[in-house]
This record gives sequence, structure tokens and C-alpha cells, in this order.
Amino acid sequence: MTIADDIDVTAVAPKTPVRGMTLKGVLYGTLSTLMVVFCIVPFLLVIVISFGRKVDGAGWVWAFTFDNYQRFFVGILWPDEVTFLYLQQLGYSFYFAIIASVLAVLTALPFTLLLTRLKRSKQAIWLVFILASLSMSEVFIVMGWDILLSNNSGLPKLFQVSGLTQWLKDVGWFQTLRDIGLANPRNVKFKPSEFATILTMSYLVWPYAVILLYPALSRLDPSLSEAARTMGASRWTVTRTVTLPSIRLPLMGTTLLLFVFLLGSYVSVSVFATPDKQTTAVAIYSNIRGSNLDAPFGSAQAVILLISASICLYFGHLLNSKAEAR
Amino acid sequence: MRIGGHIFMALSALVLAMPIVVVCAAALNGGRSMFFPPRDPTLARFGEFFVSEPVWTNALSNSIIVAFGAATLAILIAWPVAYLLWSTGSKLSKALAGLGSLPFAVPPIVIGVGLGFFWSFTGGLGHIWSGVISHAILLMALPLVTISIGLQSIDRAHLDAAATMGATERIAFRTVVLPQTVPYTISGFFFVLVLSFNEFIVIFFVSASAYSTVTLQIFNSLRNGYTPTMAVAAITFLTVSILVFSAVARWGDLPRLMGADQSKK
Amino acid sequence: MPDLILSGVSKSFGNTRAVEATDLTFAEGQLTALLGPSGCGKTTLLRMIAGLEDPTRGTIRLGEDDITDLPAHKRKFGMVFQSFALFPHYTVRENVAYSLTIGGIAKPEALEKAQTLLDTVQLSGFGDRRIGELSGGQRQRVAIARALAQEPQVFLLDEPMSALDAKLREEMQVELRLLQQRLGITTIVVTHDQREAMTMADTIVVMSNGRVEQVAPPKEIYHKPANAFVADFIGKANFFDGEYRKGAVNIGSFTVDVPANFATGSPVRLAIRPESACLVAERGQNCIDAEISFVRDLGPVREYHLRTDIGPLIVEYAGTDGMERVAGDKTLVHLPVEALRVYPRAVA
Repeated sequence: MTIADDIDVTAVAPKTPVRGMTLKGVLYGTLSTLMVVFCIVPFLLVIVISFGRKVDGAGWVWAFTFDNYQRFFVGILWPDEVTFLYLQQLGYSFYFAIIASVLAVLTALPFTLLLTRLKRSKQAIWLVFILASLSMSEVFIVMGWDILLSNNSGLPKLFQVSGLTQWLKDVGWFQTLRDIGLANPRNVKFKPSEFATILTMSYLVWPYAVILLYPALSRLDPSLSEAARTMGASRWTVTRTVTLPSIRLPLMGTTLLLFVFLLGSYVSVSVFATPDKQTTAVAIYSNIRGSNLDAPFGSAQAVILLISASICLYFGHLLNSKAEAR
Repeated sequence: MRIGGHIFMALSALVLAMPIVVVCAAALNGGRSMFFPPRDPTLARFGEFFVSEPVWTNALSNSIIVAFGAATLAILIAWPVAYLLWSTGSKLSKALAGLGSLPFAVPPIVIGVGLGFFWSFTGGLGHIWSGVISHAILLMALPLVTISIGLQSIDRAHLDAAATMGATERIAFRTVVLPQTVPYTISGFFFVLVLSFNEFIVIFFVSASAYSTVTLQIFNSLRNGYTPTMAVAAITFLTVSILVFSAVARWGDLPRLMGADQSKK
Repeated sequence: MPDLILSGVSKSFGNTRAVEATDLTFAEGQLTALLGPSGCGKTTLLRMIAGLEDPTRGTIRLGEDDITDLPAHKRKFGMVFQSFALFPHYTVRENVAYSLTIGGIAKPEALEKAQTLLDTVQLSGFGDRRIGELSGGQRQRVAIARALAQEPQVFLLDEPMSALDAKLREEMQVELRLLQQRLGITTIVVTHDQREAMTMADTIVVMSNGRVEQVAPPKEIYHKPANAFVADFIGKANFFDGEYRKGAVNIGSFTVDVPANFATGSPVRLAIRPESACLVAERGQNCIDAEISFVRDLGPVREYHLRTDIGPLIVEYAGTDGMERVAGDKTLVHLPVEALRVYPRAVA
């Protein structure tokens, strides 16, 4: 084969693609329009309105001012007075969301591992149960835990009646519970408290954690752990050195997804969190449709929340590609 | 599996079930308050929910309209996007899939606020059909994922074989691709259905108090305290989900639909 | 039925050349095997013929018609895939009838025709079964029937036996060949199994690294391999490297007479088939001292593995040579001149 062979004198003309209105072209066009209109415009609106200005009487006008953002970071009376209230709210959003999502994933992990080792038919039954629990929306869950944790007819009552409260007092742990706000002088008190908020949020996303971890865990190759065991590794060592490293990625990915979802959690916080520990999501609600009605400021808060969530997602994506590159 | 494993799973199931059981049992309360265990147990609440109290019957029919409408719409949009992504893999198709998943990937309160503004400018605020569209947008990421999983499970050799037998891409789609992805389409539909029933943040912003769904109604009543009638809604949703997913498990391969390895067991 | 002609057909994927410029003619009614190791480009070539890939260069003609730009679904060459690609959501009969139903023929007629085809491949009672219920051999027959339903002008098979177990494979090779001859349809089979090619083909196209090494009937390929690759790929061969010098080849300190003509001093590779060499008692032309290192008695053939000064050598006898030899015996091995093939050797 010489170079001359490549210069083909009688070369066949390259195929020209058929132009014009193909069905695929129409599909692409329609879908693109749909996506832009419905998926991008709403977000754009929020961003644009965040630069607007509120007028008296629950209205607002188009404007271009950074006042709302300034207010978010340092308070409305800056530079006379500085308040970090809104930043604090964002902080609590993160605080609750991180702990709840990590807790959910940590408890869902062993469960899902065990689940994937069952026979397929048993797995199906468990999956129906898990999926059905997803049908409980946040309102029902909060309702349920509200009853469970209520002082008169829930767990605190149970503690009292069963003598557990007395036992705690005797052992001396009761004082510790009082110190962290989980008890008043007479009995344990579970709500409102950080504990109740985080518990409910964690419970809310637990089934999602199972479902998100399920594909990765069901693909684990048992022969790898079997090989490790024949080389003398105990069950815990196998988990630590073989199983966990291989699922590090789905684990982090799931935690990240759940964290972002929980950033927007509203009902759990408004019912179970003490007034001094409210989150940005609650504030947004009251600004847009609730008691305050300051749409531009609410939008600004929403934008900040969105940006925070996107930053976290971006870091997750970075970690993902870094791990895949290795 | 060792005993420890069994105990852990049982405990998890117990914790998972506890609030659900509590809520469901509270529906049996005779009085207006939610007590657990229920006092004066009665089934009167069920009658109120399904038949007599208009505030609940309206909410229920709204929930059904929004859920079924959104599920259908979500499937109709997600299918072409998933198909284009799978058959061409072009940059544009990837962008479309990304955009479609965007509303679901961020805290729902943001898209709720955004859609609220959107509809107030376009005149859809407070109408049921805008609620249907809003939920479809929010939830179309789900059928996108399930249908993509289904498409990936199709052997490309099947498409080649169909081509050698005279099938154009359209015919191959109708006779080879569509029939083999039916279970994934159905599961995507049901996911949207269930999640739409539950969703209230987005509905809250786009309904602007003009109508309410069951979940929204409960959410609004939170400040007034719970009544046992709400718990009937919980029981209904739960029962429907169990029935739906049991059906999927019975006639389909539920573990595979959830992403499990096909080659095992 | 017209001939299928490839002219200058080549295929590149990015910077990799999968198939070099190829000219081939597939005569009508003949079965041609594309034979070669994996990665040699034979499947790519077949897919280009089917229309599933576009050639980077070159033309494909069916008789007078240029079909290079014709998409697969218009060419309608019946094709059997390696995995058979049977549709799990149709019954066996519906699968076979597929090309007819989408081609506009009424369903009852199509299904009737499908039944006739099932009778031809001896699966008469299987029409209502689901694909999942069939064995590998049954699936292959369904795939064949399905491909032939549209009465194609060319019949293509991509490694059709690879999904079958060994015994079934041998049976099906014969059956498929008989079927093809009965129908008289131009057929192209891709395979990596040289026994399959030898069993079924009228012509074998041996390929390696995207290039056609030899095109010839099986007997010629076996007895007159065009180069060292073909000699090694088809059947077994003993190889020796040396230098050509006036009608003989020097291998180390030995000289072997050869029936070839090369430039003096050029490096060459000798090949001889194990069944062509023999063990002799008396020294003659091309006889070399050897020691038996291993005797492999397989029943129908017996192999003697020998150690010689020109390298290891295997001699094969059908049945036995009548002599009781064991490892350690010293003997003479004779390399008949007319059985030796000489090829040029590229020096690294």
C-alpha cells in the first residue's frame, strides 16, 4: 500500500445527509422549545425577580438592585446594624440537611446490603414495602412523628408509663438530656428540638437512600469478599477493605442527592424546629406566600439556596470524575 | 444471613412502619383529635373523606386529576428525550436530558417559586391544568431514568436484525423497541403518579389557594391541627401504593426495574 | 441471481483502518467463508455488505446495480446474527414472519408462509413457542428461517455456530451447507473456525489485520497456502526459519532442499504439514536426526513430537505407522521436497 493508494482518483462522492424537515428534526425542535420554556424560564424568573424591589402592600416592581442580596448577607439595616440572621438560616439548612442525609445513608447502607443478599422473590416483597412507604408524603410523616413524639400520647408518655423516665433520673442521664434540650423537669420532651427535626428529615429520605443504593449494591460481586475471607479477613475487615471502597462512589452520590433534596425541606422544620433554628426554606415560604410577602427577597433567598445546592452538586461531579480518572 | 442481619432488617422495618401505623390508626379516632391508640374507634372518617365532606372529595378528585395528568404528560415528554438520547447520543440530546432532569435535581422549593412566577405571568396561576404541567415538569426526570434503563437493556443486534428484514427506524421503533420497554414505561408512569400524589410544595405555589389537592389540604390544615379525616388520606395513599407496586412486582421483575443485576438468580 | 461485487471497499474508524481496500466477487449460488482470527475485519466486511456499516471507500454492486448507498432496510439481505437476535416479545412463528408482516403482507398469509419455513428447518411444531423456551440449536434454526423468509438474494451469517455446543456445531455445519445448496442462494459466512470454513465453503477468504490474505477453494488453501499466516491458520504446520541458497535452505548448519527460487541469502520461512513428514530408517534426501520427546496417541491419529537440530517438529500418522515408538527413541525424519512450502520472512 503506497500513499498513492489513498489519493483515490475514482473516489466515491461522500454521502450528503438528507436535509429538511425530518421527524427527528421536528422532535428536537419541539423538545428544545419545551425544555427551554418550562425548565429554564422558571429559574430565570426567580433570578430576575431577585433583583426587584418590594413596594408597600405586598407588591413588587421590576428593578435592578442588589438590595435583596445585601440584605441576605448583612441585614436590612446595614451599615447601621448588622444581622446574620439569613446567613444563619442558610447555615441551619445545611446543618440539618447534612446530618439527616448522612444518618439516612449510614443506616440505609447495611439494610440495603442485607436486602441484596436475599432471594429475588423476597427482595421484591421488601421493595414493595419500601416503595409504598414513599407514598407517605412529608405531611403524613410529620403527622405521624408528631403524634409519636407528642408529650401526651407518644413516646414520652411511654417512657413515663414504663418507668424509663424514672430509670433515667436514677442513673443520672436525665440531667444530660435536660442540658441538650430533650427533657423538661418532669419528663423527656422530644419536640420541638433539633433531634426531632433531624430524625424526621432522616426518616423522610431513608427509603430514597435504599432505592438509590440498591443498583450498586446488587451488583457487588460476592466472590471478591469470599476471596478475602479465604485469605483470613474477618467479616468486618472484609466490609472495611473490600466492600466499602468499591461502593464509595454511589455512597457519596446518594448522600449528595439526598442532601440537596433536604435543603428544601419545609414541613419538618416548621413543625419540629425551635423558632431560633429556622431554615432558609421556611423563610422563602413566608416571603413568597406566607406572612411576609416580600417576593424579591424570597427570590433572592431561593437563588442563594439554588447556588449552594449547585455548588455541592458540582463538587460531587468533580469528585466523581476524579475518581473515575484514577 | 446471620441472626444479627435479620434483627437489623426487622428493626428497620419496625422503625419505618411506626409513624405510618400511628397515622393510619389515628384515622379510627371517634373524636376530632388524633390520639394513639385511637379512642372511640369508628369508621366514620372514611365516609367523610370519600363521600360527605366536599372539602375532601374535591381535594381527592383534584389529586387524581393532577397525578394522572402529570404522569401521562411526563411519559409523553420523557419518551422522545430518552429515545433521542439512546439512539443518537448527540450533544443536543444530552443537553435535553440534562434540562429535563434539572427541576428534579434541585430543592423543589426553588422550582415551586419559579413556576409560581411563571404561571402568574402566563395566566395559568390557580388553574388545574397548570398544576398538571408543573408536576410533569418536576417529575419527568423519573420516567426519563426508567425508560433509559429500559432502552439500554435492548440488544442493538435486534435493531440490526430488524433493518436487514426491511424495517425502517420508525417500524423498528414500533415493533421492536416499544414492546420491549413496556414495563419500564409503566414503572415510570407509576413513580410519577405516586410522587405527584405526595407533592405539595410546588402545588402550593402554583395553585395560589384557588384549589387544593389532598396533600395540600392537609398541609394547609396543619396549623389548625390534625383531624383524623386526614389520616384516611394517608391510608388511601398507602393502600393504593401497595396495590400498584405489588402489581408491578407480580407481573414484572421489580428488582430489575429498580436497577438490580439482570444476570443473577 | 446476480453476483455480488466489492471494489476497493475499505473501512476506517477514526484513525484505525479496520478493513483495507478489498476487491472480492461473490459468485451467485456459492457459499463463501470469511475466515480469520478475531479483529481481522471479517465481521466489519460482512456488516458493510449488509448495509449496517458504510464503507469509507469503494463500491458494492449487486450485478449491474450499485448498492453502496442503499440502506440496510432496502437491501434486504437475510442475516443471521451471532446472538441470533430473536425478538423475545414475539412467538417463533411471528419472528419468522416479521419481514413479511412489516412488508405489507396480510398477517394470516405471512404466518402461513412462516409455517412453511419452519417445516423446512424441521421446527414444525414450534410455531407458538416463546424464544425463551428454545434451546440454542432451535434458536439458530428460527434465526435461519427468519432470515430466509424474505427470499433474499444474499444470505449472510455472522459466526452462526458460536452459540452452539461442539457436537451440535458439527451437525449444523453439514445441515446448513445442504440447505444452502438446495436453495442455491449466494451465501457469505463469517467464522474463525477453519474446520467450519473447510466443511461448508466453496471459496474461503482468509483475512488478517483487515487484509485479504488468500482467496481460494478449501483444498487449495490447505495444500497451497499463499503465505506463512495462511499456512499457520489453516491446519497445523511445522515452521523453520533459515536462509535461501541455491535450491536449498540453510537452517543453522543443516541444508534442506526446497522447490523454490529466491534471491541468494534472503531470509525465508519453511513450512511442512505434520502428515507430510515421515519417520524413516535409512538416510536419504532431506533426512534429519531426531529424538522422540512425546507420543500423542489420539485414536484416529498419532503424533510424534520430535527434537531435532533444526528445531522441534511434529509428525502425524493416521492411525499408526506400524512401529512401536516411545519417548526417547532416536530416529530419522524425512521432509519430502514437494511437501515443503517456502515463504519470505521479514527480519525484525
